[in-house]
Amino acid sequence: MLKKILLPSILIILGYGFWVSPDFKEIAAGVSIFLFGMLFLEDGFKAFTGGVLEKLLQKTTNKTWKSLLFGIISTTIMQSSSLVSVITISFISAGLVTLVAGIGIIFGANIGTTTGAWLVAAFGLKVKISAYAMPMLVFGIVLSFQKSKYLKGIGSVLAGLGFLFLGIHYMKEGFEAFKGSFDLAALAVEGYPGLFLFAAIGAAATVVMQSSHATLVLILTALAAAQITYENSLALAIGANVGTTITAIIGSLSANVQGKRLAGAHLVFNLATGLIAIVFISQFVWAVDWVSDHVGIAQDDYTMKLAVFHTLFNVTGVLVMVPLIHRLADYLFKVFPEKAQDLAEPLYLNEAVIEFPETVLKSLKKEVWHLFDSAFELMAHGINLHRTEILESPDLEKTIADDREIHELDLDELYESKVKILYGAIVEFISQAQEHMPSIYAEEMFRLRKASSGIVECVKHIKHLRKNATRYMLSDNENIRAEYNRLRYQISMILREIYRLRNEGDYDHSLAILEIDELKAEIQLEHRQLDGRITEVLRDERITPMMATSLLNDFNYVDETSRNLLDTAQALLISHSDLIAEAAQEVVLDEDEIDDATTI
Amino acid sequence: MKFSRLVDQAEKIVETHQQGHSVGSKELSELQRRLTEKISHYQAKLEEADDPQKREKWQTRLKVVSAQLQKSKQLSVR
Repeated sequence: MLKKILLPSILIILGYGFWVSPDFKEIAAGVSIFLFGMLFLEDGFKAFTGGVLEKLLQKTTNKTWKSLLFGIISTTIMQSSSLVSVITISFISAGLVTLVAGIGIIFGANIGTTTGAWLVAAFGLKVKISAYAMPMLVFGIVLSFQKSKYLKGIGSVLAGLGFLFLGIHYMKEGFEAFKGSFDLAALAVEGYPGLFLFAAIGAAATVVMQSSHATLVLILTALAAAQITYENSLALAIGANVGTTITAIIGSLSANVQGKRLAGAHLVFNLATGLIAIVFISQFVWAVDWVSDHVGIAQDDYTMKLAVFHTLFNVTGVLVMVPLIHRLADYLFKVFPEKAQDLAEPLYLNEAVIEFPETVLKSLKKEVWHLFDSAFELMAHGINLHRTEILESPDLEKTIADDREIHELDLDELYESKVKILYGAIVEFISQAQEHMPSIYAEEMFRLRKASSGIVECVKHIKHLRKNATRYMLSDNENIRAEYNRLRYQISMILREIYRLRNEGDYDHSLAILEIDELKAEIQLEHRQLDGRITEVLRDERITPMMATSLLNDFNYVDETSRNLLDTAQALLISHSDLIAEAAQEVVLDEDEIDDATTI
Repeated sequence: MKFSRLVDQAEKIVETHQQGHSVGSKELSELQRRLTEKISHYQAKLEEADDPQKREKWQTRLKVVSAQLQKSKQLSVR
């Protein structure tokens, strides 16, 4: 309901504002052009991603100081802490950075965002920036029409900066003219209530504009036009810092629990920093004066002093919060506990990462493993075994022979709810991602799609196998019972081996992909042996012809399932983690090579 | 894409496939060392095993790893 009336209300208020005040119109246009510039800037930077950003992120966030530095630099370049926060949330959701590293980036972003105040304070309000805006816009737009992805990117960045500067210009003009007709100073209240009031205004303005940077520009321009006092501006800046978290919170709505934790960390940090700044406001004012004296900022140059304040209180916040980073992470783990895992929901597919090919591949691989886990459970129960029996039994063959408990389950329903939904989500994600993926990733995408369809096929085969496997595992005929137990064993052994290879340590992991060849050869061997055994037991009338037919049919399901599982594992175990693993991929044997090797 | 260019690309792919990929000499030696180590391990297992089925299993694994080792010897070194 609120959502429905929010937009019309905003439009009506804006329309009314434009009607009664041309100055308000100029400010609003300035803000809009500024935000439009931010969109261009964001698009421009996206052109330079596509693998590089993700790799950089992993290497630069493995220590807290590194992630802090990463946050500072990336926000300084992008001039948007919100953008950095949202991207970090998407990465954390994809499991590429840890929560602690993500918190470090957010802390760094808060320092990085203060450079915006410096840029605007030092250049934006002292010179006629529209003079720079125009050439930037022209060069930017010309470049953005080029075919080259990178020229387009540079064009968007230049055009973005041009629009930012133009927006600042209009806001400044608007405030100059607005000065006589509206007085923000009228809202001034003495002491802490005033501070909290202006902090709330700053937060609200940032929520509306979705950019603390834009609010800061507004504050600086209003301050330069003497619309507000210096103290009011400090409180507004504190509020802007708190308000900026709303973008991260919105960004986390579509993210998983990790993303929500990070948005929580952002909110906690900015609230704590804001509170510290308000409580110790007089000390901060003194510190700002002291710093200003020492760096040669004039006593009445409030715009520069605001930039100093913005930097000081964010740096203080980081200094206070960094030692608490692990405690904060622990607290957030408690506040946002991991949901009891619902296997039907995709865990790693996040639309926010769709434009980052490396992240897409990593998320997809994790999701296909997740599909494998769901299918593992179903297959285990399908052949009347528990997952733990398969994974932990010291003598799997004996466990299978002894365990004659029937698992009551509706495999069709479970397939629909636990496998099909997940598979559908993977296929949909792949087709969406393919629009943005460079062609070099096509083969890997194809392999992952094939791996997931292979898993789905396996579950379908187990559905067919289940009927006879359940019937004959209880049979009094020990020959047919033994053969079906062999089939159950083959599936279980492969599931167990794949699970082991997946969790192998670094040393063995490089060669895991080659061990799959050995398992494939074992299946071929089993195939040859089964033919001989069936002929023998049938000839000796130890099983009926009907049993032999069922066995041969079901063996085909098992054979197909085994091959699908092993192909899937081989696709998922491909690792680019080290050069040995890459060399190992070159000696994987194909089906004919395995056949040749084992029939010698 | 022009058909002739498509054929060129296809030929290149086939050529690369026939030549095999090249790997670094250090990585190749390490890979071969580990495969040889595995062969010795399986040979020991084979000698220990009395059960014909178990013996057949170790023999199969041994043959596969030997084939992988042979294949590694055909790789070109970067």
